Amino acid sequence: MTLAVILVPLIAALLLPLLGGLGRIVALGAAIATFVLALRLPSAEAVNLPWLPDLGVTFSLSGHGAATVLVAAAALAMIGAVWYGGFRVTHRTSVFLALLLAMQAFLNGIFLAKDLVIFYVFWEATLIPSLIMLGVWGGSAKRAAVMKYLVYAMGGSLLMLVGIIALKVTSGATGFHFDELVAAGASLDLNTQLLIFAAFAVAFAVKLPLVPVHSWLIDFHEQNHPSGVADVAGTLYKVGAFGFFAWAIPLLPAAAEAAAPLLLALAAITALYGGVVAVAQTDLKRLLAYASLSHMGIIGVGVFSLQPEGMTGGMLLLAAQMVSTSALFILAGMLGERRGTFELSAYGGLARSAPFLASIMLFSIFASIGVPGLGNFPGEFLSLLGAWLHTPGWAIVATLTIIAAGIYGVNLYQRMFQGREQLPAPDLSFREAITLLPFVAGILWFGIAPAAAVSNIELQTRAGTEQAITQPTEPLAGTMEDSQ
Amino acid sequence: MTFPAAIDINWLQLSPLMTLIATASIALLYNLGDRDTRGGAGITVTGLILAGVFNYALMRESEGGPITAFGGRLLADQLTTSLWFVIIVGAVLAILVAWNYIHNSEVGQPEYYPLLLLSASGAMVMVAAGDLITLLLGLEIMSLAVYVLSAFRLGHGAPARQSQEAGMKYFLLGAFASAVMIYGIALLYGATGSFHYTGVHAAVTAPDFGLPVLAAVGGLLLLGGLAFKAAIFPLQQWAPDVYTGAPTPVTTFMSVVVKTAAFAALLRVGAGFLPEVSPAVIEVFSWLVGATMVIGNFGALAQQGIKRMLAYSSVAHAGYLGLAVLAASTDGFRAASWYLMAYTLMTAGAFAVLALVSRRDDTGDTLSHFAGLGRRQPGLALAMAIFMLSLAGIPPLAGFAGKLFVFSAAIGAGYVVLAVVGIVTSIVGVYYYFRVIKVMYFDQSSSEALPGGIDVAGRLAIALAAVGTVVLGVFPAIW
Repeated sequence: MTLAVILVPLIAALLLPLLGGLGRIVALGAAIATFVLALRLPSAEAVNLPWLPDLGVTFSLSGHGAATVLVAAAALAMIGAVWYGGFRVTHRTSVFLALLLAMQAFLNGIFLAKDLVIFYVFWEATLIPSLIMLGVWGGSAKRAAVMKYLVYAMGGSLLMLVGIIALKVTSGATGFHFDELVAAGASLDLNTQLLIFAAFAVAFAVKLPLVPVHSWLIDFHEQNHPSGVADVAGTLYKVGAFGFFAWAIPLLPAAAEAAAPLLLALAAITALYGGVVAVAQTDLKRLLAYASLSHMGIIGVGVFSLQPEGMTGGMLLLAAQMVSTSALFILAGMLGERRGTFELSAYGGLARSAPFLASIMLFSIFASIGVPGLGNFPGEFLSLLGAWLHTPGWAIVATLTIIAAGIYGVNLYQRMFQGREQLPAPDLSFREAITLLPFVAGILWFGIAPAAAVSNIELQTRAGTEQAITQPTEPLAGTMEDSQ
Repeated sequence: MTFPAAIDINWLQLSPLMTLIATASIALLYNLGDRDTRGGAGITVTGLILAGVFNYALMRESEGGPITAFGGRLLADQLTTSLWFVIIVGAVLAILVAWNYIHNSEVGQPEYYPLLLLSASGAMVMVAAGDLITLLLGLEIMSLAVYVLSAFRLGHGAPARQSQEAGMKYFLLGAFASAVMIYGIALLYGATGSFHYTGVHAAVTAPDFGLPVLAAVGGLLLLGGLAFKAAIFPLQQWAPDVYTGAPTPVTTFMSVVVKTAAFAALLRVGAGFLPEVSPAVIEVFSWLVGATMVIGNFGALAQQGIKRMLAYSSVAHAGYLGLAVLAASTDGFRAASWYLMAYTLMTAGAFAVLALVSRRDDTGDTLSHFAGLGRRQPGLALAMAIFMLSLAGIPPLAGFAGKLFVFSAAIGAGYVVLAVVGIVTSIVGVYYYFRVIKVMYFDQSSSEALPGGIDVAGRLAIALAAVGTVVLGVFPAIW
């Protein structure tokens, strides 16, 4: 079951280029099947297979904890993306969908991995489909965007590789499995921990992303295929916070505690910076990219608070924004198709001719800016609460983001959908409406009934924070169970 | 010093070597009657496969413990059998690349294949050598054949001149390096009274050893000779010129088989006696390894021609392998034999694609020549992308597990700073490897068609290497 969540999309991705016209149906089937499998993850057996016994690497996966929620949220977004991409991307559709599914398979690997090397393998493997999507289907300035993205991503992650190896060697662990490393890593002295933590932090900060290593994200979204489908993949790929949450913080608790004030400050600045810069954008995709950067900052303050509330909230928001931000990028793709540009000035008054499109857009914007009852609110609230418990000052800075979010969100809707209608636009077609169904369902799910998700994430949070705050050297009951 | 009374011969151990030499002789005789080069290619590939079978038997036999022959001058341990496999795979790939290339071009002399096999047998002797004289013999057998192969392109055009220049340059510098090495061996013998690795080790660790300086100078000169073959800084200068000038199939062979043999020898002396002869020699070597990684990667970054880029890239990989040599007494053997297999598959594969895409006289290997290859030749482009990603060390391809092996070995042996240098320079590597992929997939097509129609043997080599790179990367425990 746990393995199937990776294998189903991966095998579909490998078959897709051979299937031709049938490919779309298979791709959609695989996406839906992955979602169904993801829902059953909490009861699934963990996987433990030998991979590279010489170096102590095991192919270990476990679907317990935050992975349950993240895999499901990603699968939900992926259903909409695969369906929309099936008719919206006309150039080499089956290869595009194959890359999308490969991306999903590797992302699930990142969330499920319980062996640090396997985590790294999936972390890096995800780079390839996202780069190809950007490079082949991207816009006019894609070459620069590709190279920037590549250098940022690889620069960070290769340093992480040194950290991974050094962690095992210096701690004397016999393998790279989480349980072995967590017991061994806590015994390292603070200086060693800090050095290794820094190697991880660079990689994770790039993918979170945090200011000042965020600039690839903006170009990445601006240059990706105008359908917004590749942006969904990019949205799901912002897994840096998960890396901190699942690996860096529990493995190196003393270093995490020492570095938390700095990281918390950077995250709060990222949140505010993203929100404020979003207000000034005139291009829809750039605006969404900065808005999403701002969310990532809030996730960051939650995780770096090292408080149970904040860390759980950060992961909950990570999952929820996968759905809401993806919805906005897909909606942007639909709007872009109607106008042929993402310049906000080309839009206006669309609510009259396209009322359904307008209402779903408003719904998604509200979800994104954290209106209670919709997807992002519970996670955002818990993240900020966690930050408040750690450093009230930075919590206030991060909370200011909500004001900025209100401004750019409402502004966006006003400029595009209200006021004088420049040109009428067709309303949602039937297939477009179907596209948006999974997103709407996901937004409502995270908004109305987050309890199940919270309790799943908490399983893992407890393991991490106990390690970080109370008992730095004691092995963990919670994670030991996972590996059985 | 004691020698066994009777000559100590283990026929099973000698069988892979003797198969290669016998096959080379048969191919030479065959070519007296039939000047078509493809007959010789077929014979030599068959011989290599047979040698592989014998090597497999030897591997099973040596699992109980290392086998030796000639009083420990020829060793058959895990390193020998695994690197013999690497050499056989590299030679098979190099012959497949050459199959139609040699047939269709002015390189077309059938002696090509027997020479290649003799060179491979010399490489195998170097791998198995347990004393310095055997090592030297292997090195000379291997090198002499490669000097000739480098200069194999006949005629008067610029490519032929380049090839002859490459051969001449390689020969002169190689002869000089051999002389240095022989001098080193002589000094080591003078200091210790032994050619045996174990004998040298015993002598220098003896409490009353009186000639440490002589031994250290000898060790340094020996290291210099081997570092030349391995293209370690500052003795890497020849590699880009010779790799570029030689016909591409020869470059394929040199970059994988010669490198494997050189590193095997470095590993054996590194684990055998070099640290005991003088820690300073190892210290010097570690600095050179760091410099090699920097020079190789930055050199590759500056290249426009893909062949030259790959030549510098092989210098960079020599640096990574150097990390394994530094860890020779701990995890280095396993790391290096794994890395060399991965390196052989991806490098030979990349040169094979290059041989198919560039013109028959090896011109036309610039980046722009690869533009739009993803649309013109999707299969070739996909394979090239796999090799580039693997060389860059991106999982789940073989190059990643290889890097994991050598960096783990280096960090485990205490060379953390060097490992960091290796990682930082491989970020540069990511850039220039990815540039090839970018050009193939994201740039507009250049309209030039591939030369010489469909090259089945070349494509077979590429397919084998690509499948090997992926399978080895996904299931690293099989090797």
